[in-house]
Amino acid sequence: MSIDVSGVNKRYGEFVALQDINLTLPTGQLTALLGPSGGGKTTLLRIIAGLETADSGSVVIEGVEATRLPVQKRNVGFVFQHYAAFKHLSVARNVAFGLEIRKKPKDEIRAKVDELLRLVHLDAFADRLPSQLSGGQRQRMALARALAIEPSVLLLDEPFGALDAKVRKELRDWLRRLHDEVHVTTVFVTHDQEEALEVADEIVVVNEGRVEQVGSPDQLYDAPANEFVMGFLGEVTVLGGVRLRPHDVEMTTAPVPGALEGRVVRALRVGFEVRVTVDVAGQDAPVTVVMTRTHARSLGLEPGTAVWLAPAEGATAVASATPAARPAPEAVAG
Amino acid sequence: MAETRRASAGPTTYVLRVLVIAYLALLVAWPVVLVGTNAFANGTQAMVDVLADPDTVHALQLSAIAAVVATVINTVFGVTISMLLVRKEFPGKRVLSALIDLPLSVSPIVVGLALMLVYGGRNGWLGPTVEDWGLQVVFATPGIVLATAFVSLPLVIREVVPVLHELGTEQEQAAQSLGASGWQTFWRITLPSIKWAVIYGVVLTLARSLGEFGAVKVVSGNVLGETRTATLAVEERYLNFDQEGAYALAFLLASVSVLAILVVFVLRARGTRHRAFERQS
Ligand SMILES: Nc1ncnc2c1ncn2[C@@H]1O[C@H](COP(=O)(O)OP(=O)(O)O)[C@@H](O)[C@H]1O
Ligand SMILES: [Mg+2]
Repeated sequence: MSIDVSGVNKRYGEFVALQDINLTLPTGQLTALLGPSGGGKTTLLRIIAGLETADSGSVVIEGVEATRLPVQKRNVGFVFQHYAAFKHLSVARNVAFGLEIRKKPKDEIRAKVDELLRLVHLDAFADRLPSQLSGGQRQRMALARALAIEPSVLLLDEPFGALDAKVRKELRDWLRRLHDEVHVTTVFVTHDQEEALEVADEIVVVNEGRVEQVGSPDQLYDAPANEFVMGFLGEVTVLGGVRLRPHDVEMTTAPVPGALEGRVVRALRVGFEVRVTVDVAGQDAPVTVVMTRTHARSLGLEPGTAVWLAPAEGATAVASATPAARPAPEAVAG
Repeated sequence: MAETRRASAGPTTYVLRVLVIAYLALLVAWPVVLVGTNAFANGTQAMVDVLADPDTVHALQLSAIAAVVATVINTVFGVTISMLLVRKEFPGKRVLSALIDLPLSVSPIVVGLALMLVYGGRNGWLGPTVEDWGLQVVFATPGIVLATAFVSLPLVIREVVPVLHELGTEQEQAAQSLGASGWQTFWRITLPSIKWAVIYGVVLTLARSLGEFGAVKVVSGNVLGETRTATLAVEERYLNFDQEGAYALAFLLASVSVLAILVVFVLRARGTRHRAFERQS
């Protein structure tokens, strides 16, 4: 096991940032710490790195008890959201920094830096200053810099958070490919569930200083442990006391046994899909149903059309803790 | 930018501008220029005479030594204190921060008197003890350095502190995660990042130290050829009706200050361009 966190607590004054965190991350995996802003992801990552100390609990990295080790001795690569580029050093010197500190021979450093710059596609920019790079390039430089010390684990704090959507998506795919090549145990923080679902081997959902669930993207998506995880990973609507995904609601225009009857309030076309809002008898909050445009057209939906709703077979569903009569926040948002 | 400002400039702006220029001209520029013209009223003779006088040369040397030593001390301490103030939490931090401005607000002559109370050879609080060790502070070079250092203490700190704040700690943390010790982080990351601020601070400190008069007058004893600094020599010549000599010497001192300000001006322009470029991308 590469990273072992047990019984970690952290407070800032009265505020509990982390509460009894227990986590085991296997070697060589790409793990996402996913959760809403302020949930404690950064704090947890910084405690693993040694940039922050836990009030109690222990951190073991690659079998080495690291709880009392300073950050310099943990051999972790850390990548910051805002790059933390050394502004006065060239790209090559940035990448060489950890090796220079380790007093490696000059030619060895040069060879390693060249190799890493090729890996992150920055070989043409070796002599530039960070200020002459784009955000995405700077972050790739920061990644090469962290990889240069051959870290036991690579920790990335919202590495693409400061980039625009397109670069973000490119870099995310690129990180996945890079990880397949380099295979260093990697933990990255994100608040973007799509990013986590797309890139990670394993996702740790962190909320309000606690771990809500740990699992593969499929496990989390198909079997969320609770309402929070379900709601955080995607849109949720409530149908007859059951929370499920809007695309998992089956709609017919003729009565079906077991289905709930309702009336279409409106049908909104968004790109290739149609979002239908349905008022269901005996339920305060309307149900949101998402279907393809073709399907919607075949049903001939108009405001006022009577429809019957039922969960699709094999749909991911969590019994709603909030009574169906009260609007669930997600359902309103959807 | 300049264009938008010009477009919105109304009559009030012009009046204000003229007022400011007139104010600066009457208060600063014109008097300084007059020092120059008076120094060379009879050609370069006054300057040659001044530089031929060994006591005056000694005074200039003493001023230079005191200024350089005080600047070195204030640079080392200034950077250290700035790091403490910005990077560490400790009780009494606000008090320390306020104390640092004291030398700017207290009259130098008060500083001189205060130093006498502490280091005075006969009845100072610490003076007799130090003198027993064989070190004469007051009426000697150490006292002059001390007074000069006191007066110019805040200048490096006031330049460095805001830059350290703006720099933040992420680069330092990144360096440490890459294995750098605290000391290595300071030399390789922090110091290069605050380089310009330190340089401005040093130049300002040097200029201020060279010009120090009040505090030095009290603690130096003003002994001709021994503890008389350049500023004291100017006063001496002026009071002894050697106006030309006084102006020549004053001109020398003023040119060093003007040079220092020019250096700061050029550095600052470079620094701004540098920073603007960084923000661009
Ligand atoms: N140095 C600090 N002092 C006080 N509170 C902090 C500090 N660092 C983080 N916090 C608080 O701890 C909580 C968790 O923060 P963080 O770990 O940054 O969350 P996340 O990365 O998930 O957005 C936040 O509410 C934040 O305000
Ligand atoms: Mg964070």
